[in-house]
Amino acid sequence: MKEKYIHILCIVLTLGYGGLVAFLYAAEPRSLEEFTTKARSAVENIATKGTVVIGTYEVDAAKFNEGLAAFREDRFPAARDMFERADPEKRDARTQFYIAYSYYRQGWGRVSNDDTLFQLGLEAAERVRMLDPDFRSDDPDLQMKTPVEIRTELEEGLTVTADDFNPLRIFRERK
Amino acid sequence: MAKLKQRELDTPVSPDEVTVEVPVVNDLPAIRENTAAQQIARGRALRNYVYLPLIFLTVALLGGLRLSGNDGSFIFVRPALICLIFAAILLLLFFRAGMLRVDGWFTEEMTGTQTAANGLVLVSLFAAATQIFNSLIPEQGLPFWIVSFCFLWVLWNNLFAEFDPKRLLKSLGAMFGLAFVTKYMVLANLTAPGGRSWLRSLIENPAQEAATWLLDLPRFSAGTGYIQFFAVIIFLLGLFLTPSATNRDR
Repeated sequence: MKEKYIHILCIVLTLGYGGLVAFLYAAEPRSLEEFTTKARSAVENIATKGTVVIGTYEVDAAKFNEGLAAFREDRFPAARDMFERADPEKRDARTQFYIAYSYYRQGWGRVSNDDTLFQLGLEAAERVRMLDPDFRSDDPDLQMKTPVEIRTELEEGLTVTADDFNPLRIFRERK
Repeated sequence: MAKLKQRELDTPVSPDEVTVEVPVVNDLPAIRENTAAQQIARGRALRNYVYLPLIFLTVALLGGLRLSGNDGSFIFVRPALICLIFAAILLLLFFRAGMLRVDGWFTEEMTGTQTAANGLVLVSLFAAATQIFNSLIPEQGLPFWIVSFCFLWVLWNNLFAEFDPKRLLKSLGAMFGLAFVTKYMVLANLTAPGGRSWLRSLIENPAQEAATWLLDLPRFSAGTGYIQFFAVIIFLLGLFLTPSATNRDR
């Protein structure tokens, strides 16, 4: 073997083995089984990031449809889980819009709203606005079509006003 | 073909033709010497560029590995900042004592790949040195500061002492050996075993429980000591194999 090839082998070996050591200290697996799981998720993560870099990133349609089905059945945590798996890089405005909407619907209450969920919904709505400022949903089942509408609704829900003490509020409907 | 050759042999050589006498030299010993030199060079290159990074990166992997005292699961302890400082001082010491020579590892005559490979070998040595300090310095509490101070004292003194590589290696062996005994034999025996209730530990081992609490000692499995023993041995072996220069003509 030529010395030059040994040098190249050294570079490849050191970077590969060094990368493995760095990964182990970053991931901190507690067992060999956990190491396999963490390595797999890291590889998937790198693959997703790679698709973003080369511009071929797209939402997993099957998972998105599963999330949509769960959303329509009011199973919001399950829906969000599927939406997040469909768009792990949070780059699709439509998926993020459904996530924001799911926070709104789950957090909405006739008497009082869940502030934590509304706050998370606001963050998701802000993401939609940043990804696509002109986004408009074409889903006929949704009353709010744009992230601005969701944002307004969520902000109103988070703010305490005199209108909140109106007893007729219990007759209002979820959007 | 055979006929043609026979004809050529049978044809008489004309007296006008100039015959050149080729000196017959027995080159066999020279060829053998050359082959042996090539094999030695290849062996040296394999040692410097394959075995050494493997050794040092294995030390870097094992140096921060601990086994939990409760369930034996892996715990990867990242090195404290002081370990990086000690490793930097140690590398400086290697250069100062002549164990490593800058002009032996980086010169203008070297190719780009060799320079990169040399750099990576030294990076792996630095990583191993960092993890050896991570292995030998107690993780937290008063012992961490005491042992760190002792290391700093020794390294700082050594920086200004006259050393040759052999003496430096012996000195490091002694220093690491003492630190290993302190952490994995003395302090480990003062640590109460994990996985027991507080009350039971206090009744069965009051002195150990008190020492563990006072010195803030982490509870690791006994296997940790064995792993770190091999890490120290492998590191010293790596240092022993490390040449002062990768270009032997210098």
